[in-house]
Amino acid sequence: MKTTNRQHLAQLALQNTSLLLFIVVFVVFGLLAPRFFALQTFETILKQASYIGIVAIGMTFVILTAGIDLSVGSNMYVSATVAGLVMQELKAPVWLGLLVCLSVGMLFGGVNAFLITRVKIIPFIATLGTMVAGKGIGLLFSRSIQIPYPDSVLELGSSRLFGLIPLPIVIFLGVALAAQLVLTMTPIGRQIYAVGNDAEAAKKAGLSVGRVLTSVYIVSGLMAALGGFVSVAQQGVVHPGFGEGYEFNAIAAAVLGGASLFGGVGSVLPGTLLGAVLIQMIQTGLIFTKVDIYIQPLITAAIIFSAVLLDAFRNIQLQKLRRRNIRIDKGALVGAGDD
Amino acid sequence: MSDAILTFDHVEKSFFGVRVLKGISLDVPRGKVLGLVGENGAGKSTLMNLMGGVHAPDRGQMLLNGAPYAPRTPSDANAAGIAFIHQELNLFTNLSIAENIFIDGFPRLRWLPMLDRSHMRARTKQYLEAVELHVSPDTLVEKLSPGERQLVEIAKALSFDARIIIFDEPTTSLTARETERLFRLIERLRSDGASIVYISHILPDVMRLADEIAVLRDGELVAHGDKEAFTINRMIALMVGRAIEQLYPPRRSAPTTTPVLEVQDISQQGIVEAITFTLHKGEILGVFGLMGSGRSELARILFGLDEHARGEIRVAGKPYTRPSARRSIDAGMAFVTENRREEGLLMDIAIAENIGLVALPRYAAATVTAVNERRYFTEITDVAASLAIKGGELRQQAVKTLSGGNQQKAVIAKWLLDKPAVLIIDEPTRGVDVGAKYEIYSIINDLAAAGTGVLFISSELEELMGVCDRMLVMSNGEIQATFSRDEFEKERILRAAFRENAA
Amino acid sequence: MMEAEVKEPNRAVTRSQLVATSSARGTVRRVLRKLLLSEYFVLYLSIVYFLALWPFIPRIASPQNLGNIFSNMWPLLAIAIGQTFVLIIAGIDLSQPSIMALVSVIGAALMTSQLDPVLFEKSPLWGIVFTEAGGPLAGAFLAAPVAIMVMLLVGALIGWFNGTAVARLKMPPFMVTLVGMMFFSALAIYLVKSENIIHLPESYVLLGQGQIAFIPYSFFIVGALAIAAQWLLSRTVLGRWFYAVGANVRTATVSGVPVTRVIVTAYILSGVFAAIGAVFYSARLAAGRPTLGATLLLDVVGATVIGGTSLFGGKGKIMWTVFGVLFFVLLDNSLNLLNLSYFWVQIVKGSVILLAAALDVARTRLLARG
Repeated sequence: MKTTNRQHLAQLALQNTSLLLFIVVFVVFGLLAPRFFALQTFETILKQASYIGIVAIGMTFVILTAGIDLSVGSNMYVSATVAGLVMQELKAPVWLGLLVCLSVGMLFGGVNAFLITRVKIIPFIATLGTMVAGKGIGLLFSRSIQIPYPDSVLELGSSRLFGLIPLPIVIFLGVALAAQLVLTMTPIGRQIYAVGNDAEAAKKAGLSVGRVLTSVYIVSGLMAALGGFVSVAQQGVVHPGFGEGYEFNAIAAAVLGGASLFGGVGSVLPGTLLGAVLIQMIQTGLIFTKVDIYIQPLITAAIIFSAVLLDAFRNIQLQKLRRRNIRIDKGALVGAGDD
Repeated sequence: MSDAILTFDHVEKSFFGVRVLKGISLDVPRGKVLGLVGENGAGKSTLMNLMGGVHAPDRGQMLLNGAPYAPRTPSDANAAGIAFIHQELNLFTNLSIAENIFIDGFPRLRWLPMLDRSHMRARTKQYLEAVELHVSPDTLVEKLSPGERQLVEIAKALSFDARIIIFDEPTTSLTARETERLFRLIERLRSDGASIVYISHILPDVMRLADEIAVLRDGELVAHGDKEAFTINRMIALMVGRAIEQLYPPRRSAPTTTPVLEVQDISQQGIVEAITFTLHKGEILGVFGLMGSGRSELARILFGLDEHARGEIRVAGKPYTRPSARRSIDAGMAFVTENRREEGLLMDIAIAENIGLVALPRYAAATVTAVNERRYFTEITDVAASLAIKGGELRQQAVKTLSGGNQQKAVIAKWLLDKPAVLIIDEPTRGVDVGAKYEIYSIINDLAAAGTGVLFISSELEELMGVCDRMLVMSNGEIQATFSRDEFEKERILRAAFRENAA
Repeated sequence: MMEAEVKEPNRAVTRSQLVATSSARGTVRRVLRKLLLSEYFVLYLSIVYFLALWPFIPRIASPQNLGNIFSNMWPLLAIAIGQTFVLIIAGIDLSQPSIMALVSVIGAALMTSQLDPVLFEKSPLWGIVFTEAGGPLAGAFLAAPVAIMVMLLVGALIGWFNGTAVARLKMPPFMVTLVGMMFFSALAIYLVKSENIIHLPESYVLLGQGQIAFIPYSFFIVGALAIAAQWLLSRTVLGRWFYAVGANVRTATVSGVPVTRVIVTAYILSGVFAAIGAVFYSARLAAGRPTLGATLLLDVVGATVIGGTSLFGGKGKIMWTVFGVLFFVLLDNSLNLLNLSYFWVQIVKGSVILLAAALDVARTRLLARG
């Protein structure tokens, strides 16, 4: 009996490696810098994790279909730039700016979807191409200079819902909740998992694989734009380097949260949310513990590496645990009673 | 003949200029089981693909209940009440049973664009009961056995009220008990009024299930009639176009008493237990077991692909520890695995390079020195010729362009090139047509005559009885009995194979 | 169509006309098809691109510019050869640019003959590896060769690390090398606190800038390496194993291929070739730079894949990669000559990648049709 309990515990631990790692990192930093445990700190972490987290949620949709979207960083830049110009030059109100931002992001995602589903270019290369071209288009609009956002946006970025929770966090959590609902509770959500599991089978089952893929890349585009807007709302300007390299952070957050690059496996809640917050927590923790700024990225990378390692180890172990026993030993009963 | 639910009217279909169906007219009988047999490439699957909406005919038409029927997609076919249960199941392992059943048309809540889970669950439960699969609708498909997954496919067919259900080689990955359950289910579906098309290479199964039998050869219908008009021999003769006097080639040599493979007390917890046997030079030793008896797992352990906790393996008298595939090969072992696509071949790579892969290091002084290409390709060509591998230019054409039988011969060829002392061969005739089967048996015979010890693993008892000198029977990961050729008796062997039930 | 019976005479006329025009069109189509399906497709594409631009930018064909294109190819090719090995085994190496940065810094730190204390005092290497008087090899007779050996060794070591993580620990290559990219580029920056190391030995700098009869050294070295790499892939046991592992790991395992060793070897080669590329780039700059290669990832993966090597493994040739690199260098060069702003360069480059990929899709479809 004891051994089965221990086995269960092992399995439970294996299934929740990202949560365990999360707790370990949290506790270690807390011990190193007691200030880290303050509620204020946690709010800062969540707020700073919000925009990468939102982008990572879109990325999760794409990764669930065994795809990848390398263009999200460029997308953030283009959509934020266009929105900034609309607000600055045309004096458009904030809501219109946001609308423009999201529309540009969706359009960007739509282009990716077109290249992937119609032209049939593999996602890695298609989004690599739009990443490069997209950045160029963004710089074309901005003429490579900073685009300031109106103060009203900055105010929005630092405002609080009911004067309590910072708006970026509300948006982040709201989007995560909605995304998780879509993935688990709606037809399209389940079809995303089906396509990621076996696209060929999905086609045979009569699913429109093209439609499913189109929707995930558009969602990814939308999330990139929203993430970009939330980020700029906290910083006030779009500088020319904005968004560069964010695609890798978003991918890392999704994978740390348990999404498999081979598709069909992963979740937004708790998965990607946890992944995004974990990355930010490491970075904030390193600042709190006053680690040399040059060493911080080394430690961040090392922790992400160990998370990926843990995940690989977990997969091997889970496979071993799942391997069916053929022999029916008396005593050790194997499940599933046959007729 | 009775009235037809579906009629093929002179249908033709070509692929890349090759006529696969040459004007077939066939009635699928209403409320009966039609057994459809033919060699690989005879056009069975293409014909069924027309029916299932995967392809459209070039010429001719189909009539469903007398009205023209022209599905453009599999969903059209489903909507018309036709379900196609493919050999490779079409399920999403990361989703639940209920989600799989409703994947292309989820029921939604009235006010929200969300799944109506309770409705899905209730209906799924009903279908699962109809196929006698007693698990929760929320069970993930990855937790089910191959047989259970097939029942889910059938439950799915019930969900759209299929009137015609096509089964394409449904028993290849089922245990004996699961097969039996499937047959009972098919019989019940028929008595409920469904029409069934049953495609299989296992002719005794066809004889047992079918009311009518249709035989295809080279894209033409060569016979169709009531089951009573057929015998297994007649079906084979019709399939290959000539009478086959023998299913199995005669043995021309006798086994020696020199051991080449000695297995002593091999055990691995939960997989196999205390396996002990000896394989001799020139002997064909059969291993019979039902699905899940541990036969393939034993082969993997012997070849060093999976670990074992206890026991000893000796090849040609020499013990070797810490086995790995490379060590096994160096010791003189060869292993034709049961799934040639996944573990036997590099499908996109040229035939010649596939055949050369195992023996490759022998053609160069070191891994980073040049391969002696002349010797390499000459010997590959020789072995390919000796096995009569047909269908392509060896060095140019990818192995995936070969027919199933020739692919299997390519797998055997790559091991023969290494001149093994021991050949472990697992289900070599699965998915291979009658003519190619005979060739594969002949190859095995010739090898034994040349002194190779062959461990022939199969779930088809007849072929083992036809080819082997001796037979081990496995169940529950143990060797239950050993029979010499003069003791071969179907009933006794099967009884040994089912022994786990007694325990 | 051949079997269709023709009853009415006027129809027969139309049909024969049809056959006539279609045979003319047929020839054109056959030629196009042949071009599209040829192994040399990307080379043809480069030539067509070159010829198409010639009337608009005559300067592109000037001897000096041709020399530029020619000498720009080889360092990039060195890196792309390494990437080709990894792609063939169905992996990917995103860490190559960071390897370049790190080894360029390490090599320069060993060789440099003088360092500015104001800039380097805070470096963790200060006082340990180098001082004001430069690195441990400063002024030594064999400074450059020894430093290069160390650089290659570091490249091999990182490759070994990547390969081990992928093959033994079963980590996904994309993530391993992505994190590797973050780590090693941060390490390069940390070691020198973002500063470039200059004052490198002349013999080293010559490697990047020297020429024999107007042909850069890099051509001879990388050309020889490319031939050796192609020989390795197509003629040796190891080469065949690369393709086998990339095409189907499970089959390769059963067939006795030492899969782990093969995968690790591919990543080691990738690391070493990245280091070779770093030698040429840093020699040309006459500096060790902690951000060396940061913008090259796209060019390397893009050139290799557009050359025809599959991201899914089992398929690839060094010659294809040579063409892919030629195409990318030509593209870059032409965009420079056009004197376009940075953003136009990006837009055109991205579009051309997409176009080339779309053409590749068309090719694959044609090939599948047989």
